[in-house]
Formats: sequence, structure tokens, C-alpha cells
Amino acid sequence: MSAAAAATTQPANAAGERPGSGMASTVALATLLLGPIIAVNGLAFLMPVFNLLLLSFRESLGGSTIGEAYTLANWSSTLFDSYYIELIVQSILTSLMITALTLVASYPIALYLHRSKGRWRTFLLVLVISPLLTSAVVRTYGWIAILADDGLINNMLKAFGVEAMRLIFNKVGVVIGLTEILMPYMILALLAGFGRLDPRVEEAAETLGASPWKVFWRIVVPLTMPGVALGCLLSFVLAVSSFITPKLLGGGRVFLLATEIYDQAIVTLNWPLAATLSMIVLVIFGAALVLYSRLLRAVI
Amino acid sequence: MKTAIFLSGALLLATTALPAHAQQTVTLLAYSGLFQERYTKAVIEPFMAAHPDIKVEYFPQPGSAAMLGVLRAQKAAQQTDVAIMDVSVAKTGTDEGLFDKVDESVTKNYADLYPNAKFEGVAGVGVTFDNLVLIYNTDAIKTAPTSWNALKDPALKGKVAMMSAPDIVGIGTTIIMDRMNGGKDFIQNINAGMNAMAEVAPNVQTWEPKPEVYPTVINGQVSLGVGWNARSQVNADKSDGKMKVALPQEGTILQVNTINLVKGGPSSDAARKFVDYALSPQAQSAFSAAMYYAPTNSAVKLAPDVANRTVIGAMDKVIPVDWIALSTVRDRITQDWRRKVIPLSR
Repeated sequence: MSAAAAATTQPANAAGERPGSGMASTVALATLLLGPIIAVNGLAFLMPVFNLLLLSFRESLGGSTIGEAYTLANWSSTLFDSYYIELIVQSILTSLMITALTLVASYPIALYLHRSKGRWRTFLLVLVISPLLTSAVVRTYGWIAILADDGLINNMLKAFGVEAMRLIFNKVGVVIGLTEILMPYMILALLAGFGRLDPRVEEAAETLGASPWKVFWRIVVPLTMPGVALGCLLSFVLAVSSFITPKLLGGGRVFLLATEIYDQAIVTLNWPLAATLSMIVLVIFGAALVLYSRLLRAVI
Repeated sequence: MKTAIFLSGALLLATTALPAHAQQTVTLLAYSGLFQERYTKAVIEPFMAAHPDIKVEYFPQPGSAAMLGVLRAQKAAQQTDVAIMDVSVAKTGTDEGLFDKVDESVTKNYADLYPNAKFEGVAGVGVTFDNLVLIYNTDAIKTAPTSWNALKDPALKGKVAMMSAPDIVGIGTTIIMDRMNGGKDFIQNINAGMNAMAEVAPNVQTWEPKPEVYPTVINGQVSLGVGWNARSQVNADKSDGKMKVALPQEGTILQVNTINLVKGGPSSDAARKFVDYALSPQAQSAFSAAMYYAPTNSAVKLAPDVANRTVIGAMDKVIPVDWIALSTVRDRITQDWRRKVIPLSR
């Protein structure tokens, strides 16, 4: 109560001290407007992350007890253990693959949506967003029904005399499931970044004799790069951090950072190790963000 | 400002005045789902009927780890009085100073508890015994399997489901296999069990049956699975004969849920009364009849049709597991599984 009161009165005081200065009042106004979100982010995001960082240096005693002492053991056992290095590399590669597949599957849809008009466009947009109204768990179970040994696809293959394949409880299942789950995010991000794509530029290129293929590669793709970069960033971050779908479709065979964090936090109760792995995920996100801003600067 | 003072005064009055009139509330932290449903009917409701001045509030969590998370988070101001959780997690909680000791001073039933229900270094005591069993789909498997080796049957390729290590189903099955294949002390060396699990691996369709292993067996997605007796028995009853339960001749391992008094819980006297009741023959036999967990109180006499469906008649075949010693090597066993067992099931 008192902390909240102090937080709201402080900017007002700051504004009152220097009424004449225009610069100062702008700063004060900005502080006033940004204050609430800074407070919320500080309390609900930065503080927990800082606690997580501290936890990653806490000693992990046998039998999942968290010790009082601080140690580098969690970090050294993670960064110098072949199993965890492999886990980190595999997580990044799998997420990159899922991101690429999501992009390939979503790009044509987003392009068509961008060019459609009126009610038809609204209808298609609702169709694209509608999967987000269902929980990822439910959609993942849907994929189990489709991909299972006696599911839709394998039954069709059998009807054509093709031998059934294991499409689920392995990496194939995880990649298929996550690609579908991430598609709405990718399509929305692409649409948001397609603002510069002007049909008149395409028409001009055609008038000057460019083939449709050339128009696509030289005009459409470069102009839509901001959307592609945004969509890829979003999909990659979501792919690295998703654990429900890999848990349900991986069959305990696919080891990714997110599932390992879940196991360490919930099953073996090694919270310091789980915190260490979480910080590594955060570092990967940071790297992805840096890459994204570099890419954006290059294309704009 | 005046209103603020008035409001805080009113709040102060309300919080101090209420408990004098209202009943005491015991907050029980325990498993969600079927456990909550059956435990409420068999134990909590009769307890509240006998103690009208005490109300038991059930705070459900999906697993022991989540319960430990709650207790760790509330350590500064506990809102919970009693926790029912797996013994290995209870050991961690005890080490972190979260629990008060349950002994003769809390309950006179302490003396009647089986030795397997008391643990060095754990504040709480055993309140239920459960055990690993085989569950099978009756359309696919006509005769009940009698040995854990059924998991290796080449005819069941891709038709087995069980949780892998670090889950205790995976670790427990490895311990049973180790004992069957001549292993002496799995804490030191569990290679015999690991080699046997490597033979099971090619049969396994999923190491992560979701939401649980029971529906995957009932609906025929797999033919054979490893499950826990209590949930297996209840699911078998609900399956229209599609799923049956088998306790193999080589024996089984126990999973023990302990009941723990939370240190600094808000209503400790009422909490002690509840712990005493939960360990009484009356509560223990009622819950066994409701969900086929075996009682931890040796004074309980179960009806034969209930006893036969719990592990109580086969206690001589139980392979002793020191879960507390095991927790120190659980990580190593998990790593072994990932290198030697799971890759063989692709």
C-alpha cells in the first residue's frame, strides 16, 4: 500500500520542482507514463529473473536439497558436460528447423492474406487466428490422433499399401506439431511486417519486363524482410521455450532445453540446475534479439 | 487518510475477531485428481463429521514436487498445516527444515505403523503404500503376465508404455529388473537392471504416456504398461474389462506417501488431530477400500476382496528400496538411461 503510494507520488513531486523547464517536464511526463510498466516489469520480471540468477549459483546437495552456500558447480557441470552441450546445440538446431518450416508454410498464406480484401480477408484472418483460441495441449492431442500408429495418416498409407511409419513420439512428431502450433504467430508477424509491400512496385517491375519469379525474388522478398525477421524471431523464441508439445509428442525420446528444465525443476527437483539452464535459454534469447536487430538494420 | 485508518482498523478487527467464533481450518496439501476425490470422501468427510469445530481445506497439487515448491515459497509465512507427499520429497523438505516431527507425542497410532512406514531423517511417517504393477489390454493379451520379463516379449514391439527415468516408474522398474537378474545392491551397481531395460527399450512406444499410462492401455494404443497399483485398480474398474492388473511373481517395489506436519502452520493443534486420525485404523481401512492403497497401520484388518487388490498380501515379495539413499544416485541412473536405454527405442 505505502510502496504503491510512494511510486505514484514521486513523479508528481519531480514535476513540481522545476515547473519552468520544458525538458524537465517532458522527462517527468515520460517517467510518469512509463512508471507503472517499469514497476510491473521490475516486480514481475526483473526481480524473479535476478532470483533465478542467484539460484543458479546455489549449491545443489544430494537428494534435491538446496544448500545455503554459493558455487560455480552448476555452471561448470552444464557448460563442460558433453550431454548438456549436445542438448543446447540440439535445442537450437531443432528450433531453427521448426522456424524455417513454419516460415515456408506461413509465407504464402500471409502473402495471400495481405493481398485479399474486404469480408473475405476478415474471414481468412479469423480462420488464421482461430487455432490460438484453442489451447496448445488440445491441438497437440489432435496431432496424436492424426499421427499415431493407427491414426489418420498411417491408415491412409496402409490403404495405399505403404508400410506405416512412426510419425509420433520422436523428433518428427515434435517438429510437425510445433510447426503447426507456431504458424498463427508467424502469419500475424509476417502480416505486421508487410507494410512496405506496395502492389504498384510489383506492377512497375512487371511493366519493365521482369518475370513473375524475378519480381518475387527481387521485389517481394526484400520488401517483406522486416516481417520475415520478426516472424522468425518470434517463432524461434517460442520454439526454444515450448515444452508441452515436445513432452506430449516427443515420447520421452526428444531432449530439449525446455523439457530438461521441466524435468529438473519438477521431477528431480534440482532447482539450481534448472535455474542454470533457464539462464542459458535467456542468453540464447538475447543472442536471437541481437541477430534480429542486426538483420533489421541491414534490410531497412 | 481517515478512511484508510478506518478501513485498516476494521480489517484488524475482522481478522482478530473471526477465529474466536469460527471453526479452525486445517489446510491439507496433497495430490489432485482421483486422490483428492477419494481421500475427501473416505477420510476428510468422516473426520470433519467427528470434529465439527475443525474444517479441512484441501489444497490440491499435481505432484510432490509442486507441493515442495509451495512449501518453499511460503516458508516465511506458512499457509499450510499438513502435507501428504512422496517420501523422497519429504526427506528434502525435512532437510530444509519445513516439517515438525510426527511421533508418539502427535499420535498414539505411531506404535502400530509398519517399520516400512518410518524413515530415518524424515519428519513425517508413511500414510499410504503403493506398488508397481503391470497393466495390460485384455484384447491384445489374453493371459495375465506373471513376470516382469513380459515387457521384453518380442511380440510386443512398439506396444509398451512406461515413464522413463528420472520418474520413479522408470527407476523402480530398473531396480526390480536388477534384482531379478542377480543385482545385489543397486545403489552401488545397477548394471544388471540397466541391461535388462535395454532389452525392454525396443518394445517401448512412448516413455512419456500422457496424460497417464492407464488410458493408453485401456484404449489399446499400447498393450502393456507399468503403472501404480492404486490408480491401476481404479482405472481397471472403470475400463469395462479392457484393462487388467497383474502383480508379477518376482515382486515389486513400494512407493510411500508420507504425512507431514508443516512447521509453523497456522493451526497446529487441529493439524495434529488430523494427522492422528489419518493414521488411525478407521481412516486407513476406509481409504484402502476406496482406492486400493495399502494401509501403513498394522492394526488395520482389510476385507479379503480389498486386501487381494493391494500389496498387503505380498509384503514378503517387496524389494526393499532406500529412497533416501537412492536420491543421491538418481541423477547417475537417469544419465545411464539416456545413454544406454532410451537410444535403443528409436
